Amino acid sequence: MLELRGLSKHFGGVKALDGLDLTVDEGDIFGLIGPNGSGKSTTINLICGVYGETAGTVHFRGNLMNGKPPHTRLRAGIARTFQNIRLFPNLTVWQNLWVAQNSSQDVSAHGFLPRWFGATRRTRKEIARLLELADLGHKGDELASNLAFGEQRRLEFARAAAARPKLLLLDEPAAGMSRQEIDNLGRRIRRMRDSGVTILLVEHVMELVMGVTEQIAVLNFGYKIAFGTPGEVQRDKAVQEAYLGTSASKSRPVDGSA
Amino acid sequence: MIDFVQNTVDGIMFGSSYALLAIGFTIVFGVMRRINLAFGATIMLGAYAGTWLHVHYQVHVLVVVLTTVVCTVLVGIYVERLCFHAVRRDAALASMVSSFVVWMQLEEVAIHLLPERTYSFPSLIVAGSFELGPFLLRGEQITMLVLAAVMVGALHLLLHRTRYGLALRAISESPRAAAYMGIDAAWVMLCAFALVSLVGAVAGYAILATDEQITPFFGLWATFKGLIAMMLGGMGSLPGAILGGLLLGVVEAHAQWYLGNEYKDLSAYVLLFAMLVLRPGGLLGQRILGREELAFRRV
Repeated sequence: MLELRGLSKHFGGVKALDGLDLTVDEGDIFGLIGPNGSGKSTTINLICGVYGETAGTVHFRGNLMNGKPPHTRLRAGIARTFQNIRLFPNLTVWQNLWVAQNSSQDVSAHGFLPRWFGATRRTRKEIARLLELADLGHKGDELASNLAFGEQRRLEFARAAAARPKLLLLDEPAAGMSRQEIDNLGRRIRRMRDSGVTILLVEHVMELVMGVTEQIAVLNFGYKIAFGTPGEVQRDKAVQEAYLGTSASKSRPVDGSA
Repeated sequence: MIDFVQNTVDGIMFGSSYALLAIGFTIVFGVMRRINLAFGATIMLGAYAGTWLHVHYQVHVLVVVLTTVVCTVLVGIYVERLCFHAVRRDAALASMVSSFVVWMQLEEVAIHLLPERTYSFPSLIVAGSFELGPFLLRGEQITMLVLAAVMVGALHLLLHRTRYGLALRAISESPRAAAYMGIDAAWVMLCAFALVSLVGAVAGYAILATDEQITPFFGLWATFKGLIAMMLGGMGSLPGAILGGLLLGVVEAHAQWYLGNEYKDLSAYVLLFAMLVLRPGGLLGQRILGREELAFRRV
């Protein structure tokens, strides 16, 4: 599904990511964790084309993605959410979802008229379904900026789903969420996977990561230091050290703050 | 009183073309946060191409109109490729400076195309006027108003009822999020430039047909009027551009009548000065401020 080979990103002298190898299989919920500045966000940004990689390759469903702009990658099936929510604040909730619908190939293959004027019946039905799933059914006509924080997060998740991705990158989706909201999010993520979407989850909130993922890779200072099931990773010596900050921080200068 | 109403009506009619010029600036600014200084010169060169055909081949007026519109759109696309597409997204100043330089280039091309100072510009409209009670309405100006109203209505539908309009608004709200939602900003912007060039060409044609003459300075004039009208209404606001254009037209009409022809342009600058002192964001400029405020709320 997703294959990263020797992926590196250097900002000046700072090696935010250094030679990462990672394979995410279809249908996985894959966790990517690590302390602050370990290269998690950089990895997501490289996968969806925010900036170019210094070295290495990104393959998605067998196709080389290097050099392709974000909108091409979305159309290929890679969608994402943002660590700091990035909705379209002055568009309504409904329109926010329509933008994403707008872009998925499925829907735009309908011919000229429905493509340019209004939404097709099918699109309307699909958006109504997404609103329902996100518990935003009654808020379709609100401006996105008028939503509460939790609702904005749910809308962003729904917007990513509206693009009908094959792979969904979640960048710290649980940040700032209450216990109950995190449980709900976990259920949403699982439901998303069951509908055939592969998930790559970057997260600090451990109960979410350990609860939903099947495979976890741990990064520290731009390197992958561990890989395995949640249980294996939790028992791993190097991981414990990285999180407690003992030998890892001594062996490498603290410059990976990207 | 009759004079006052007559001037106001004249001002609204002529102001409607200012509004179209302002729309050209405000759409580019609202979506890209950039200013296209070459906009006026783009229209001028398009109209020059039409005039050139008229001067050398005495073609029908309809051909002049068509040539003006098509060439303006082509020049608009040229400016977009050269000054906006080729320049990095965050280098708004570089875009503005290069659009200024290209403005000079377009003017030079126009002067070589038709080297004399002024040429007569053919009017499609039957120049006539009719009386409505004590008021006099000029045929050209009514046409101008109708054209402007149709363009504004079409633009409104385009922005609010079509997927293209949605994409344009999404980019204006958040360029990055739009890219991750699969919107090809480069393509959308190219279309936007073609679109505003079309609007500008219609405005330019209406103005030139009313003046019945064209000079290379039309580019400078159109850029000034469009920018002033946009500033009056509030940068980046579409209703603001319309309001600013009409206000500018009305104030100029009154200044011309009560103070004399030489005060017409001066009144525009006095009005702009007053607006910048009293309400720097323009009449409807608070929307831009509102948006920035939203940005702080992490939306």
